[in-house]
Amino acid sequence: MKGIACVAMAVLLGVGFFSVSAFSQEEMVVVDNRVFDAPQRPSSRFEHDAHNEAAEIEDCAVCHHVYDDDGVLVEDESSEDSSCSECHGIADEGRIPNLRKAYHRNCKGCHREQGAGPVLCGECHPW
Amino acid sequence: MHAVYAFVSGPLAWLAFLLFFGGICYRLVRLLWEVNRTEKFIFSYMSWKYSLRSIGRWLIPFGTANWRLHPGLTVATFTFHICLLVTPVFLLSHVVLWDEAFDVSWWTLPDGVADVMTVLVIVCCAYFLIRRLVTPEVKFVTTASDFVILAIVAAPFITGFLAYHQWFAYPVMAIAHIVSGEIMLAAIPFTRLSHMIFSPLTRAYMGSEFGKVRHARDW
Ligand code: HEC
Ligand code: HEC
Ligand code: HEC
Ligand code: HEC
Repeated sequence: MKGIACVAMAVLLGVGFFSVSAFSQEEMVVVDNRVFDAPQRPSSRFEHDAHNEAAEIEDCAVCHHVYDDDGVLVEDESSEDSSCSECHGIADEGRIPNLRKAYHRNCKGCHREQGAGPVLCGECHPW
Repeated sequence: MHAVYAFVSGPLAWLAFLLFFGGICYRLVRLLWEVNRTEKFIFSYMSWKYSLRSIGRWLIPFGTANWRLHPGLTVATFTFHICLLVTPVFLLSHVVLWDEAFDVSWWTLPDGVADVMTVLVIVCCAYFLIRRLVTPEVKFVTTASDFVILAIVAAPFITGFLAYHQWFAYPVMAIAHIVSGEIMLAAIPFTRLSHMIFSPLTRAYMGSEFGKVRHARDW
């Protein structure tokens, strides 16, 4: 009886544990491409936390930036509570690059500068 | 890898476009200069009307007696040239790169359509190759340079197709694609691929001579 109770407890705990982790925020492994009307490529690989650790990026604002009304980068402020697509539309708007170009210039631009990280289409968008 | 990519997508790309556009200008200026020096009278019988009439006529599939004489070749020629010119210009991947580099972009083909057009270019190249190998009258006038030119044109499409699908050796294939495209661009003004610029001029000349001088049609 005691044994069964223990197993039942363990199972319940296990189920509880797994369902909590399943409903909590999942690790980000790709940049979701569903914000594009009809995506032509698979979502880009991007393991958010592991990437930033390996690339040794401490400042969130390297990607999650904030600009003031004059288009000047605001130091010490970041915008990780907004998605890129909230500010970057499907078409260019003045100095704000369209979403696709924003991603490419941000991601590929840094990879080219640093000589590390993918620069070819298929390295980020593998079928 | 990064150094190679930086080189082929930077200096080498500039060089290829420089040779392509610079070469076209050079060949055109040279041509006009030579004609002016040796056969100046040609300018006097050139005519816009008959030039455009002839060019237009030859742009219609089966529009000329010669096109009708070789239906297989005609279908292959038209399919090949349309796909060859349209696919690279309106390819999404290429426009993505123009946009990133120079903030310019334009309408693009759906990737699936571009994929089919790429295969058509490759199939036509195979057709031209086989024709050169097996048709006696074509074989007779074929030299090694014909095969080299065919390879120069086929290579960017074969590597592009394989790179797009990422079937094997992806990074190598992508670099090979960039380099082979650059070789093709640079080769256009300086090989028989220069018919890209010269064939309309030859046609204009023929059209004018037949239309204005001989009062006949050149098709
Ligand atoms: C709160 C709004 C906002 C958010 C969110 C945002 N951006 Fe921007 N971004 C801007 C504005 C505004 C500009 C134009 C700045 C200027 O005037 O030069 C810009 C410019 C850029 C540029 C070009 C200048 C540069 O920094 O190289 C890139 C690339 C870019 N954004 C990428 C991204 C990416 C990637 C994300 C998501 C991780 C993102 N942005 C999120 C507002 C935003
Ligand atoms: C290399 C670029 C980059 C850096 C650096 C970066 N992020 Fe992100 N982050 C992204 C991208 C891209 C997204 C996806 C945005 C979207 O979908 O619009 C994202 C999404 C997020 C999200 C949304 C939640 C989610 O998982 O969807 C949060 C929260 C976030 N980042 C927090 C941070 C914090 C905190 C830092 C600094 C410690 C940071 N990021 C650094 C690129 C970056
Ligand atoms: C500030 C610089 C920087 C930015 C911005 C950046 N990266 Fe990176 N990325 C790196 C570096 C450095 C590496 C190589 C890290 C290493 O040594 O593994 C890398 C590696 C990668 C890798 C390869 C990881 C692997 O498992 O091989 C991917 C995929 C990647 N980045 C995607 C992205 C995407 C997508 C973005 C834009 C949302 C982005 N990166 C933005 C610097 C950056
Ligand atoms: C460093 C990584 C990286 C590289 C290299 C890269 N991309 Fe992207 N690309 C992204 C990210 C991140 C997005 C945002 C949406 C997503 O995840 O697909 C994106 C979005 C896109 C989109 C818009 C969404 C869609 O699927 O229609 C297209 C098209 C695209 N990329 C094509 C290309 C092409 C073509 C190349 C090569 C010339 C390329 N990308 C190279 C990271 C990359």
